[in-house]
Order: sequence, then structure tokens, then C-alpha cells
Amino acid sequence: MNNLSDILDFCKDLAFDLHFKKAKKWKSSYEDRILVGYFPIYFPREIIHAVNGMPVGIMGTGDRKQIIKGDAYYQSYICHLPRGVIEMALDDNLNDFDGFIFPSICDCIRNLSGMFKLAEKGKFQRYFDYPQNFDKATGGLFYRNEMEKIIDDMYKINKIKLTPENLNNSIKLYNTNRRLIEEIYNIRQEFPWRLSAVDTYHVIRAGLSMPVEEHNLIIEEVISHISEDIGEQMDNIRVVISGSFCEQPPVGLIKSIEMAGCYIVDDDFMLGSRWIQGDVRDDTADPLGELVNSYLTQSPISSAVYDVDNPKGKRLVDLAQRRNADGIIFSAASFCDPALLDRPELQKECDNSGIAYITFQYHENTGQFKMIKEQAGTFSDSIKLWV
Amino acid sequence: METPLYTIGIDVGSNYIKLVLMKYSDSPEILDKKTEKIRKRDPSQVADEMINSFLVNNDLKYNDLAYLASTGEGDLVKRKRGHFYGMTTHAKGANYFFPDAKCAVDMGALYVRALKISPQARVEDYKMTGQCASGSGQFVENISRYLGLSIEEVGEVSLKADAPEVSSGICAVLAETDVINMVSREVSIPNIIKGIHISIANRIIKLLNSLKAESPIALTGGMALNKGLIQAIEEQLKETGKTFEIKTHPDAIYAGAIGAALWGGYRYLKLKDKLELTEK
Repeated sequence: MNNLSDILDFCKDLAFDLHFKKAKKWKSSYEDRILVGYFPIYFPREIIHAVNGMPVGIMGTGDRKQIIKGDAYYQSYICHLPRGVIEMALDDNLNDFDGFIFPSICDCIRNLSGMFKLAEKGKFQRYFDYPQNFDKATGGLFYRNEMEKIIDDMYKINKIKLTPENLNNSIKLYNTNRRLIEEIYNIRQEFPWRLSAVDTYHVIRAGLSMPVEEHNLIIEEVISHISEDIGEQMDNIRVVISGSFCEQPPVGLIKSIEMAGCYIVDDDFMLGSRWIQGDVRDDTADPLGELVNSYLTQSPISSAVYDVDNPKGKRLVDLAQRRNADGIIFSAASFCDPALLDRPELQKECDNSGIAYITFQYHENTGQFKMIKEQAGTFSDSIKLWV
Repeated sequence: METPLYTIGIDVGSNYIKLVLMKYSDSPEILDKKTEKIRKRDPSQVADEMINSFLVNNDLKYNDLAYLASTGEGDLVKRKRGHFYGMTTHAKGANYFFPDAKCAVDMGALYVRALKISPQARVEDYKMTGQCASGSGQFVENISRYLGLSIEEVGEVSLKADAPEVSSGICAVLAETDVINMVSREVSIPNIIKGIHISIANRIIKLLNSLKAESPIALTGGMALNKGLIQAIEEQLKETGKTFEIKTHPDAIYAGAIGAALWGGYRYLKLKDKLELTEK
């Protein structure tokens, strides 16, 4: 077994490799392999994997790239993520990708898909719409059609047909992946000091640009390390972070929250990798139908999901209670309309349930964390000393 | 006889690390204290060495401690049980020195913070100097170095002023330019230093006014030991017709560390109670 710090270093490097070297190397080993980039939040990666493809999550540039061209494409009141992505595309970081999928979460991502089309990046650029009607016959059918368009796009490239066997096999692998990630969260629920939130973040984000089979092995190793009694418990409060599902917070921000005396026991940082709650059935003759069902019935709380019968405020409060959290930190990207529009509703639910919370905003390239540290530090003290 | 509860508070500042060992009880006692200048060393290592030598000198082991609490840049302290934010600990430290204090002014190396505190040492409101370092201890230290004084001399020298010249209170760069001009005009060192103290005092008074501060006000942090600054604050208060009662304590520099040690003891007992309740 590898040393934990070596695994973490490996994941850290991979998580922020903006050239996706590992994924590109994987593709170059066999002729019919394809690379498909997808943007936040969620995409059913199984359908790419099943046709000999690697789904690569493109989560922006963070603070690792200077944005020059990207600023010319977006107005100043637009979030940072698409600027970084355009910069990557124009700097050829995304060459060798066969296609790009832009899940429908907001207008910025919609515009990004148009820009990729105009810039002729990849062989296909697909704006991927999600159903807001959760009736199987309506929304389900729509979602299936959307997936079939992508399957067709990929078939045109490598001529590999999607079969129930292939797809069931991919579903099985991604079920394992989600289960293992959940296990990390469950161990951290009880022993958050064994693996920091930053390290957890690196481990999960690294999985966006490597084969799922390899990622599963890495997580298994991490789990066996953190199943041992390692690290020392600190007198910290326990918090859930909400609102960071698309543009990712800078790692310095996550670190600052931890250093200010907070154990992050749940978050929505890498929400796409944890999207489906529980397993997708992997033993049916219609696995595509199972992916549809899982989206309709097993999606998590998200500002990109219509929730009229299942209010997300209540679900967030349930999550905080299930994780035995002392409070919630609402941390969203500046100008992120979906997150910021949801915030008052979520806060109202916290007020009703007597859950303490604080709020702030960030850019993925924010470099100053003093104010955030102050806010998180005073939040932690107020709970430790006065509750 | 009950086992004594030993707690350590460590306050990692930008210039100095302050450490106190306390016996925690209803009437807590300071058993030992120490400050060390960081100079150009790794603060994390300095903190570690200080803790180790402190334990050895007091014939204690790490496990004998009920709680080791950090504050300030305390995330640089590797071995600790918990961390408290600077305002929380300075409020507690001020309350320890002067239980009747209604406000505290933490005068540190990088900024000044005025806190309104409850009788239980809870921070109820605060105001803080802005980004500029012109009102900070670091600034005073830099100027004293330029003028060939040690930081310990600054207070006494300032008391000898007879015609102080006030420097800019808004910007450290402008203030330094002012000082250079004063030196070239042969303004005496006591008058220059006193002028700087007056400028800082004015900033502190502004903070207190905007906080709607009430007396008594306890001064904490490294600059609270500076007699010249305290005199300047008192004089400026008189001039502006304010009647704040200002209190200082010889251990004011340890206020953050003391506050951390005290809150550490409080948390130790709180967690113990919680555990006992769960076990029942």
C-alpha cells in the first residue's frame, strides 16, 4: 500500500493539472479512445465510459492561471469560471478533447457552449439540458433523448456502440466510485481530523481526470489509511458548506475555514461526483432507463434542480442535522445567480430550525482570506463559547 | 484534593509569540509566562520550541495539560487542542485584568481593535483600524529603529517631548516621509516620537467614538506597555473633552495568551460535562 502523504501529493497534482496530461496520455494509448470534457455540475459519466471514453470534469482554472483573453469574452458582472475555461480553450489546454458537454445550470454556461462552438473546440459541443419536470413519462423521456444525442455524437467519432452490457459495467464502476466517496465522508463525519477537507477535496477532484477504475483503487487506499486511528482531534466546530457547487472555491479558502476552527463535515464542492444518492441499478436490460430514473429520484439538493415537492431548504437542514453539524457556512461564488438566489430561502429554513450560519462570497482566484478567516473564526468561537 | 487544571495559551503575533501557563479554576492564576521575538525564524518552529521548553521548565508533560489553546496566527501552532480568534481572547484577557472593563483596545503590531465587551467577556461589537499600518506597533517599531532607539526606550523618550510634531495618521508611507522631514528640520527625537503617539492616539479615540465606547477601557497588546502612547491617549482624551477611564496592566502584552488559556479551561470543562452527560 502507498504512503498516505504520497497518495495525497499525487491527487493534489492531478486535481489542478490544467493540461489534463494523464487523461490525454490515457487517450493516446489506444486509437478508439475518446476524451469528453464536461462542466459543472453533473453529467452521467457512465455513458461516456461505456463507449471507451473518459469523462473529464473541467472545473475551471482556480487561481492557477492568469486570465487575459477570458475577460474579453465575459462582462465584469459574470462569475469567474467561464473566463478561466475560455482562457484554457484559447491557450490550447483543451486540445485533444473530442467533445464538450455543457450541463444546463445557468446562462453563463449556456453562453460558454456557444463560444466553444464558434471557436470550433472539439468535434462536438453540446448544451445538455436537464428536465425540470420529474415525471418519468415527460421529464424522463426528455432526459433520455438528451443523453441519446451525446451517445450519437460519440458514436460518430469512434464507432463504438453503447450496449446494455457496457453501460451496466460502467454503472457498476461509478456506483463503486460514489460509494467510496461517500465512505470517506462517513469516516470524516466521525473522525474529521483523519483527513482534512482540503485533502478530501484533492482526492475527489483528482478523479475528474483519471480513469474511474484507477480512482476507485486510490480511494480504497485512502479509506484504508483513514480507517486507522490517525491524526489528533481538535476542539473545532462542525460545519456544512453550501453554495460552492459550480465555480470551485480556492483551496486557500477551504484551508482558512479549517484553520479558523471548523471541521467541514459535508460540502457541495465536488457535487457532480456525488450527485446520485445511492446506487443506480446495474443489472437491467435498460441501463439508460436506470440512469434516467436515478436522476429523477436520486438527485441531491442543488440550485440547478427544480424542487417544488422536495424543498432544498428542508433538505439542507436535514443534512446538517444528519451530519451533526453546529452550523452552516454559505459560501458561493460572486455573481453565481443560482446559488445566491437560493440563499435567502435556505437561510430562512436555517432560521426556522435554529441552525447558526454565516455567509460569504469568493472568486475561484481569490487570494486574500483574512476576512473569511475572521468570519469563520468568530463563528467558531461564538458556537464553542456561547451556545 | 482535586487535580489542578493546567492550561496554556499561546498568542502568535506578527513580531512576538506570547505564552502563558495558567492554573484554571474560579480564580485562575498565571503560573508562568514568556515572550519571544520571532525575528526571521519560522514562527511554527519558534512556537514549538517555546512550548517544549515551557513544559520542561514547569516540570509538565503535554498530557498534563487540560487544554493548549492558540490565538493570533495560531494556525502555525502544530500541537494544540483548539484555537480562538484574537478578539475573543483579548476580550477575555481584558476581563481577567479588569473584570469591570466595558471595552478593550487591542493595540498590536499590525492593527488596533476596539472591542465592546460584556461582563462575561463576550465581544458585543468592535471597530478596527483599516488596512494601513500607520496606527500599529510595527510602525512605531520601524520608526524607532530609524531613529536609533530600541522599542523599549520609545515610551520614556516620548515623555520628554515639549513641542511634539504630529505625523500623518492615515498612511504609513506619508508618516515616514513626515518623519524624514522632521529629522532634516532637526526636530528632537522625543518630539517626533510623541507626535507619532499622538497620531496613533487620535486613531484610537476615533475608534472608541465610533464604537460608542463606555468606561472603563482596558488596553491590551504590546503597545499597551508604551507609557508615551498611554500618556498621549490620556492627553488627547482630555483635549477632546472625553472622560474615558483608561486602564493598563503590566501583563497587557499577554492578554491574548491569557484569554486563550482561560477559554481553553472553560472549553475543557464544557466538553467534559458534555461527555459525562452523553455517557449517562
